[in-house]
Amino acid sequence: MLLSLNWLRDYLVKNDVKIEPRELAEKLTMRGLAVASIARPSGGLDKVVVGRILRIEKHPNADRLQITKVITSDSPNAQELQIVCGAKNIAEGDTVPVALPGAMLPGDLSIKASAIRGVDSHGMLCSSKELGVADDHEGILQLPKSAVLGQPVSELLGHHGPDDVIFEFELTPNRGDCLSVMGLAREIAPLLDTKVREPKPGRFRNSAHRTSAIIKVEVDDPRCCPRYVARVIDSLKVTESPDWIKARLQSVGVRPINNIVDVTNFVMLEYGQPLHAFDLRRIESGCIRVAPCAESRDFTLLSGQNVRLEPGDILILDGDRPVALAGIMGGLNSQVEGDTTSIVLESAAFLATQIRRTARRLGLHTDSSKRFEKGTDILGVLDASERAAALLRDSHNANVYHPPIDTDEQPRKDATIALDMREVKKLIGLRQISPEGVIEVLEKIGISAHRKSVNILQVRVPTFRPDLLDSIDAIEEVARLVGYEHIPQTLPLSPATYDEWDESTMEFDFRAKQTLCSMGLRETIHYSFTSEENLSRYGLLQEQMIRVKNPISEEMKVMRTSLLPSLLQTYRYNLHRKQFDQRLFEVASIYLADDEQETRAKEVPYAAGVISGHVVPPGWMGKSEPVGFFDGKGIVENLLRQLTTVKVAYEQPRNSRLLHPNRSAVIKLGLREVGFVGEVHPFIRSHVLDTTEPVVVFELCLEALRKFQRTTVRYKVPSKFPSVEVDLAFLLDKAATSLSVAEAISLTGGSLLADVSVFDVYEGANIPSDKKSLGFRLTFLSPERTLQDAEVTTLRDRIVQAVSEKFGAQIRA
Amino acid sequence: MIENIHRIREEGRSLISSAPSPQELDHLRVHYLGKKGLLTGLLHQLKDLDNNRRREVGALLNQLKTDLESHFDHRQVELRRLEIEKELASSSPIDFTLPGRHFAGVGSLHPVTKVLEEIVAILRRVGFSVATGPEIELDFYNFEALNTPPDHPARDLQDTFYIEGPVLLRSHTSPVQIRAMKSRRPPMQIIAPGRVYRSDYDLTHTPMFHQVEGLLVDESVSLSDLKGVLHHLVKNLFGARPLRFRPSYFPFTEPSAEVDMQCIQCRGSGKDCRLCKNSGWLEIGGCGMVHPNVFKAVGYEPDRYTGFAFGMGIERIAMLKYGIDDLRSFFENDYRMLEQF
Repeated sequence: MLLSLNWLRDYLVKNDVKIEPRELAEKLTMRGLAVASIARPSGGLDKVVVGRILRIEKHPNADRLQITKVITSDSPNAQELQIVCGAKNIAEGDTVPVALPGAMLPGDLSIKASAIRGVDSHGMLCSSKELGVADDHEGILQLPKSAVLGQPVSELLGHHGPDDVIFEFELTPNRGDCLSVMGLAREIAPLLDTKVREPKPGRFRNSAHRTSAIIKVEVDDPRCCPRYVARVIDSLKVTESPDWIKARLQSVGVRPINNIVDVTNFVMLEYGQPLHAFDLRRIESGCIRVAPCAESRDFTLLSGQNVRLEPGDILILDGDRPVALAGIMGGLNSQVEGDTTSIVLESAAFLATQIRRTARRLGLHTDSSKRFEKGTDILGVLDASERAAALLRDSHNANVYHPPIDTDEQPRKDATIALDMREVKKLIGLRQISPEGVIEVLEKIGISAHRKSVNILQVRVPTFRPDLLDSIDAIEEVARLVGYEHIPQTLPLSPATYDEWDESTMEFDFRAKQTLCSMGLRETIHYSFTSEENLSRYGLLQEQMIRVKNPISEEMKVMRTSLLPSLLQTYRYNLHRKQFDQRLFEVASIYLADDEQETRAKEVPYAAGVISGHVVPPGWMGKSEPVGFFDGKGIVENLLRQLTTVKVAYEQPRNSRLLHPNRSAVIKLGLREVGFVGEVHPFIRSHVLDTTEPVVVFELCLEALRKFQRTTVRYKVPSKFPSVEVDLAFLLDKAATSLSVAEAISLTGGSLLADVSVFDVYEGANIPSDKKSLGFRLTFLSPERTLQDAEVTTLRDRIVQAVSEKFGAQIRA
Repeated sequence: MIENIHRIREEGRSLISSAPSPQELDHLRVHYLGKKGLLTGLLHQLKDLDNNRRREVGALLNQLKTDLESHFDHRQVELRRLEIEKELASSSPIDFTLPGRHFAGVGSLHPVTKVLEEIVAILRRVGFSVATGPEIELDFYNFEALNTPPDHPARDLQDTFYIEGPVLLRSHTSPVQIRAMKSRRPPMQIIAPGRVYRSDYDLTHTPMFHQVEGLLVDESVSLSDLKGVLHHLVKNLFGARPLRFRPSYFPFTEPSAEVDMQCIQCRGSGKDCRLCKNSGWLEIGGCGMVHPNVFKAVGYEPDRYTGFAFGMGIERIAMLKYGIDDLRSFFENDYRMLEQF
């Protein structure tokens, strides 16, 4: 909503009150009417200065044009400007406004040096109209001879001149009443210590003809249209509006069209009540009907746009023929034309929710629909009609039929709200406020209230504030008008409900993040949606995928079923920025369709990561090796150890497009697959990720692990006695896994064998090609005594024998 | 000649698609597209044709060329894939059961997580507990129970992503309030951090961002308490600095307010300050007293209980705290950004 402060003054009792725009904007903002910007359209008028015409010559190529020589300075060596001018009312020696090149006139007219019909012109002599001074006629504005040459012209013109200030409001949806100059005046007047002056449409005498003698109005469903005022106006001629109306409209960016349309726009901006004018000739049946659309049909709006009307849309009908989409836009078939002489002026109230529904469906957010959607003033319906009629009568001698047809002739009672002072104090936390204080602040903005009992105030809600329905709305008004800055600050008595809430889920996910950080990984956050292509290239498309119905783009169409595609995209993004050593992770939910849930979706938290480059980033201490499978596995092991008590198994993946078939593993918890770890498939590496180096990825389902959360630690006293280390190397079949051998060793070693670890793996020269050598370090330890060499040797021999028998292994020297 | 072109196309396609090796594919490429290849030969013949025919046949030849080229490219990738598969099949899997390598280092939390955890920690110290709710939500929790029935103008303020029917991506964390209140009686003191979604993508909006929601309901909670708690939060996040509460409108709170913090760059002067756009203030969140209709929707007695709720965008706070000026950089995950946290 744009507000011209000059226009605003028309509705203030003290219309010459001094306004500091910044200060006023600040106050309004603190009252909940946020001023988003302050513009001074006359800003470009700085370059319009006082000048004197020295000489006037004929234009060689145009009879209607003259060439003027102008100075804009008194200095003896002032430069003469040559300016071509079309006006007749100028003479040598005149003092006139000169728009220099670079000036910006109202209506976005920018002045440049140019050639007019072959003669150079360095600016423009201005009429009052061109300067946006509203009420003037043709011809160049004559300035007093005493004016100082070179002075900006705006300084010469009073506050009704071009020095307007335009506020742009960012209104909240509940304040439809402020989509009008009057509505804003009600809020602003008390801030400027003045009162509102309502525009008084001149009185109408009953005319010879009543509107009802010419047309009828039928409202099928009063819920859709609680009030409809129709009035016939004739003896009209379609022409331009008076300058002052055009100037008002232009000041807030509305293009003048013709006198009839302009008046409807003017009154809408003034009162917030949208109006529509039908050409009386086009109401052929003589009956205007307001009814919900019965069945789908096509309709052409006056903008020329064709729309499909659907059942429920409120229509204005001429008999059975739609002539307007109520509250949104009129029809092409009944609009005012160049030869229109009689109109039906509609002023009405329509059902806000239905207007909104229709406007939204058709994407037609018009000045009219915006106001109806937010609720209009039902009493204002008649006022607006009278105001518009009076303007047409006074400016254009139109003949107004009076009285009009009004479907709502019952006198209306203002709604009332009982306001309990105790509630006001309790909710706002303002102890000192008195009933008199409340009454005073409310009355200043036109809401009357009186005291009914000690604690109860009766508040009368004016019809222009349909947003005030309940006592809570009145309390908010009080808080707003008192000013939030005057409300004290206190700390609540905390009800401390924390032991009732299970925060373990959040804790678990956060611990996962911290553990991953401790391993040098960096957290990323990605959008929860991605493209189908990004999932399909890794073979991750799933039947259970959830799609966004109205995505912004293909890239944001499906809810992620895995975190890795986004992480790999980020890997690639960073690789292209020469980041070779990356360690990325994300902890977030994936989304799967699930009919068991009320939302038909389940959200499953996962942790996933991407590791690339070197184990230790290269530096002066030498090069380290590239990352590989076991670095990924190390991360997974650590994560599981920190968070859970589970033991998982690693198995070769099947048919994975993402994973390297020989250098990756799926992670299984019992029979359930809970994740994977390993290097990406060489084909993906070269054809998707643009790299030849190994890239390691992992993904783990945190939800599956959460059930096995490690909640505590059982402490074991470290032994006071020395341990004995024994190294054993076995020659084994390649297929034998280190884990199975280690398990066999542990089993045989019994309670004295405190630890088994792999210290060497070897294949190649000196051993058969189908064999490998595994070296294990065994640590023997007793909590109670120093071990004897003999008992360690016995255990060692037993272990060697067991492994040899079970795996056909040979002990290596 | 046209028949010839068609024949070459058919034959070429099938030969290329079945080329058994990269070498063979190279031979075919020379045969068809090489300097002395079939296509060049045909192009030479063009000059003998009259204008109209030359144009027609020329176009066909061009088509043929692109067609064959795309088949060549496709087959080349395909052969590379087969080659890789073959290499992989000939090697055997590593021993997965060998222990992993454990390394430690300096990692980092995402700036959004850092700020979020900080806010959660500050509020938990004054008695708030963390509640969670789904991101894929029902219209009821996201709008209706929050006093925002269908056709409510406030729905325009939040362009929502829909999934199907009444299922949507939550446009704020407020539905968690409803779920929490429906599951328990007052008193209630919770915060709900998480991802939220709005169909808006430009310099200052991303389709996903994070919010934290706070809710406190008891028998005599007031607007002054809300001011106190937010002062406490901001003091701990940014150090003591003035706040202002500006009347605003949200359907689920009344009275409602926007919370502005004195600009951290110009310290409120508003002079030539890009950060606060010369206003001296920075918007950091919205808040208000829980609307009685919300209490009704969850079965709390509106005449007995009052409560406040507030919400703020985490990215917004993180931008102010760390001096990040582009919202989108949070989701680009540039390594050089991540390394700084």
